[in-house]
Amino acid sequence: MEAVGTAAAILLAAALGCGPREAGAPYPGPGEKKLNVYIWSEYLPKEVIDEFTRRTGIAVSYDLYDSNEAVLAKLESGVADYDLVVPSDYMVRILIHQGLLRPLEKARLKHLENLDPRFLDKGFDPKNAYSLPYVWGTTGYGYDRTKVAGSPDSWAPLFDPKNRGQILMLDDMRECFAVALKHQGRSLNSTDPKVLRAAADLLEKQKPLVKTYNSGDYENILASGDVWLAHGYNGQLAKVVAQDPKRFAYVLPKEGATLWIDSVCVPARARNVASIYAFLDYILEPEVNAKIVDGIRYASPNRAARRFIDPAILADPAVYPSDEALARCELIEDIGDATTTMDEYWTEIKMY
Amino acid sequence: MRGRGGLLGAYAALVYLFLYAPIAILVVFSFNRARQTAVWEGGTTEWYRSLAKNDLILAALKNSLIVGGVATLIATVLGTLVALALGRHTFRGEGFTRQLLYLPVIIPEIVLGAALVTFFGALAFRLSLLTVVIAHVVFCVSYVAIVVRARLAGFDRSLEEAALDLGARPAQTFFRVTLPLLAPGIVAGALLSFTISIDDYVITSFVAGVGSTTLPLQIYSMLKVGVTPEVNAVSTLILAVTVVLIAVAQRLQRRPAEREETS
Repeated sequence: MEAVGTAAAILLAAALGCGPREAGAPYPGPGEKKLNVYIWSEYLPKEVIDEFTRRTGIAVSYDLYDSNEAVLAKLESGVADYDLVVPSDYMVRILIHQGLLRPLEKARLKHLENLDPRFLDKGFDPKNAYSLPYVWGTTGYGYDRTKVAGSPDSWAPLFDPKNRGQILMLDDMRECFAVALKHQGRSLNSTDPKVLRAAADLLEKQKPLVKTYNSGDYENILASGDVWLAHGYNGQLAKVVAQDPKRFAYVLPKEGATLWIDSVCVPARARNVASIYAFLDYILEPEVNAKIVDGIRYASPNRAARRFIDPAILADPAVYPSDEALARCELIEDIGDATTTMDEYWTEIKMY
Repeated sequence: MRGRGGLLGAYAALVYLFLYAPIAILVVFSFNRARQTAVWEGGTTEWYRSLAKNDLILAALKNSLIVGGVATLIATVLGTLVALALGRHTFRGEGFTRQLLYLPVIIPEIVLGAALVTFFGALAFRLSLLTVVIAHVVFCVSYVAIVVRARLAGFDRSLEEAALDLGARPAQTFFRVTLPLLAPGIVAGALLSFTISIDDYVITSFVAGVGSTTLPLQIYSMLKVGVTPEVNAVSTLILAVTVVLIAVAQRLQRRPAEREETS
């Protein structure tokens, strides 16, 4: 039965013109004049793609994913023909570790110096051997100014019993622990079990105040008035704030918060090498880069692009925080075995 | 007695409310003027119009229709043949084959998705719209075969024997007697597999490759940057198409039986 199945499968593959291939075999040559991009929704405006195709004659195919894990699964399958992917920081580390990315040939990129050094050479990819920052943002919280008194500038309102039942937290272990750890003046990458225990205790104490843990449409829940405070990523919350700035505001707490960077990477099996470098250089151009980031209200890591970014967005501290505020933010790093401890505590928090 | 009936009616109404209220709200909010999906600000068809101009959604819709159409066509032919083989003949391993047929229906989608992507990986078979079609055929065949087999169970074989007696060749008998009698089951099976294919997210997310983002994948990725009323609008359209297809399928399955009863 099994033999028949295998034979049928091989026949099928042969009939369709593709046989088994050596794993990780290099693809020589520049490849075809096309480019397959696998990216988050809204990360690549149509006009940017059209302009690229008009200039270079390279056709861009554009598929969307909804999680970093989808990128990992697709690249691990070994049969996905993507030329560029845009995973988040921690996933870049995993992809490098698994050998699923191809080192960048930086000599082929003319506009590399446009990138802001503040977003280069991070722990997930030292010296940016595999990745270039694409957009970045922070995880803070949005609040309803008609309900929360004063102008909060710290994490404290998320732990204030006055806001009982009016708080939304991201349904994300690392992000919730980051809030507690930062509130307690610790690094969000702490590994000391005592420090983690204290953070878990704080989150457990906070739980009765939390209306819901949600990572999907928190900005809508805030906008509809169902909660007063919503923990979340700045881009989505900035959209709500921009719609009604009298009522809503975004806070990047003074204790510090999570900084995240989504980076553009080349999968190890990518084939259309010439097209890839043409595109990478294209999106590093200041005007092009400005067009990409303005639509999503996340921030550009491209210094030269700042001249072309919508001044209203550039002036929005929810999108572009001050250097001082940014200096207190940290990337979520791999904390090794401490992840297991954190997992245990998180289960405890969510269960009781 | 009367009071009990009223209570039962109220209970039934509550059950239906529980089942359909979320869907009704989705449909209503697809006509909402507000950009945010949870606040009502008056009616508009703006989202349907912007949907018509959204190239990504239209490309995804096209992919979904291609996959649904091709997979349904292949699955309907294969499924009908499987049903005929199982319903007409006794052969060694028949029971096993019959059980095997239910497997893609029973097996958790996530397992089937992971299995398929591993399978394609092992063959170095590149992920594309073709792999999505193949994956959809895998689970659609079972649905078609099950529906057609049910139809075959009530099949009067003397009609075929009569045709053969009257001099029809076996092929003629098959195309002019057997197939028309099975047609309602086949059409019902095809419509069912089309709706399942159009809706599928989990398996498709595993096997989709370059240029093969289908509508469910598109919607899911859009949710990550916020539910827009466009998502409500496109969901409403899918819902409408699905409801119509299911209604047609049910009618087709029922009508011949009623006709037989009345004649």
